[in-house]
Amino acid sequence: MSATISLQNLRKTFGDGQSGHLAVDDVSLEIAAGQFVSLLGSSGCGKTTTLRIVAGLESPTSGRVLFDGADITHLPASHRDMRMMFQDLALFPHMSVEENVAFGLRLKRMRGKLSADEIRRRVATYLDIVRLGEMRKRMPHQLSGGQRQRVALARALATEPPVVLFDEPLGALDASLRRSTQAELKRIHRELGKTFIYVTHDQDEALSMSDMVAVMSGGRLIQYDTPEGIYERPRTRFVAQFIGAKNLISARVEKVTGSEVLLRLADGTHLGAHAEESLVPGQEVTAVFRADRALMQVNGYTDASLVSGIHVQSMFLGNRMEHIVRLVDGSEVTIHDAQARPLPGDGGPLQFALRPQHVQILTK
Amino acid sequence: MTVQADILTENAPDMRRIERRRALFWLLPPILWFVGFMLVPYAITLFYSFGRMDYVQFVAGFSLDNYVKVLTVQPYAGLILRSAKIGLLTAFWSTLLAYPVAIAMAFYLSSECAKHILYILVILPWWASYLVKAYAWKTILGTHGLLNEGLIWLGVIDEPLTVFLYNDFSIILTLTYIFTPFAVLSIYAQLERLPLSLIEAARDLGATGWETFIKVIWPISIPGVLAGGVITFSLGFGDFIAPALLGGADSIMISSVVISLLGVANDRPLAAAIGVAIILMAMALLTVSQYLEKRTQVRL
Ligand SMILES: Nc1ncnc2c1ncn2[C@@H]1O[C@H](COP(=O)(O)OP(=O)(O)O)[C@@H](O)[C@H]1O
Ligand SMILES: [Mg+2]
Repeated sequence: MSATISLQNLRKTFGDGQSGHLAVDDVSLEIAAGQFVSLLGSSGCGKTTTLRIVAGLESPTSGRVLFDGADITHLPASHRDMRMMFQDLALFPHMSVEENVAFGLRLKRMRGKLSADEIRRRVATYLDIVRLGEMRKRMPHQLSGGQRQRVALARALATEPPVVLFDEPLGALDASLRRSTQAELKRIHRELGKTFIYVTHDQDEALSMSDMVAVMSGGRLIQYDTPEGIYERPRTRFVAQFIGAKNLISARVEKVTGSEVLLRLADGTHLGAHAEESLVPGQEVTAVFRADRALMQVNGYTDASLVSGIHVQSMFLGNRMEHIVRLVDGSEVTIHDAQARPLPGDGGPLQFALRPQHVQILTK
Repeated sequence: MTVQADILTENAPDMRRIERRRALFWLLPPILWFVGFMLVPYAITLFYSFGRMDYVQFVAGFSLDNYVKVLTVQPYAGLILRSAKIGLLTAFWSTLLAYPVAIAMAFYLSSECAKHILYILVILPWWASYLVKAYAWKTILGTHGLLNEGLIWLGVIDEPLTVFLYNDFSIILTLTYIFTPFAVLSIYAQLERLPLSLIEAARDLGATGWETFIKVIWPISIPGVLAGGVITFSLGFGDFIAPALLGGADSIMISSVVISLLGVANDRPLAAAIGVAIILMAMALLTVSQYLEKRTQVRL
């Protein structure tokens, strides 16, 4: 069981009118049933506020929240068919693991729907899913950080809501525990088929776990795309930099054929590229490409363009070689060579090839 | 260079010695305070309680007569129970009044400024002397007091009522008014530890406002309620001003008796025995309440 969530022109201002702070600025988002969607952005960009509006813990200044098409903008949190896993977990400190997980099942809203036996069975099931069966009698303060995390997850899942919300739930974990918990969350998402909305500031986490990623900045939604789309085709300079694409090239638009664009670089050479928005010839743009998309073997591709520069330095990184290349306009780009071949000396001329679908034009 | 030179000298600093000296420095004041203000007075009280009066002369000794008297001869045991009842009622009403105020301060005043103002309003009555406040209630509740005049003006009654003053009602009302701030502060201190996200989590899981209160807020607030209850009970129990100013002829409390035993009646040993009995009661009460507070205190 899952549900679609759609956000329509959400706006949230904290404080009053003029001096107020716009935390969420006209966010519209369609989240399909059963999808794992991440809200990605740096601290303070409005992710939590957006999530809290979805949960009903905050009401938007304007805009609407739809749940399977029904307007739930003004429905109290307790009446929404979704559960949230809080950033600080918010486990009830006076209840055992078991009681925490059973909390939602023992409320008036559930009365008559579940017998005591069923509640016990349901708690056991979800404690098993998060692998905490043996810990059920413990109190929250007797658990490790990772175990507490899993209690909070079991508690959110136990009422079997169609939509589960997560506010940076792995923030406090160390790197390796974080990775294994990510894998586990992904498995649980696959098994239960619920809609997951996941807030994070960690681009690796967002890209590796999600079906769709919504990149936010300054309260605005910047790009909503698949992880591949975000990674391969960042629309704006912000998204490109946020996901760690550093290879930016300034160029001028020469010819536009649909989404195919021919760029002219500073040294007069041409570079085939790809654009989401319509461009006009003569326009100054920034193009971006990923280091591992650069082809060291320049022959054999009919559609690839050649880029020339001066080799500055190389670094051996185990599974690949990283070369820094200075282009004619003085900018430096990094390219990877998966075969880790050394280059003869520094300072010599170097050429690499790029295919148009790997060169993305940024609009802002 | 200098470090080595220091080590070679006779009076090189020694960490252990420094630690010992530091501990002594910080422990001495509390030890002096405890001995001077608690141990010695209690010992004196205990000493007196085992002696007896020979007319106006105190005779030291070791007899339990005074304790037997406290337990068996009226009005002492009865007055201790009566005082306990007044203390309990004071604690009950103070807690009942304090709880919503503490909740409002902890959860419903989002601005620090409003919180601060309410905090000051709670503390403010303490800038006025206890006596002044007790007298104020006397003028409100008396035959020509604000309450009677008001009711007459409203036409609710024709003649002033005497039921407001000089009885247990006026004592408990005054004690409650005076001691409620203590209950507010101890409940608030406990509620402040409760993260707002717990309330949001309860709501998010589907709890109604009432369920959130019963299942989350109340259990976590219990240690604060206990602490406030013990304070207000103790203050109400030991009070003698309110019964003297606002109580009726038959509404004396145990502290008033102790005072008259020390004064007119000049029976210091009996007064001391009552004191010891009350100290023992207080110790028992504190032991139980501390145990309960510890059991109900949450680890966040
Ligand atoms: N309750 C609040 N009152 C005032 N400002 C707030 C409140 N909550 C969040 N903000 C502000 O709104 C902005 C977005 O906050 P938030 O949604 O928590 O960001 P994120 O989760 O992306 O770090 C921040 O500038 C924050 O200071
Ligand atoms: Mg946040």
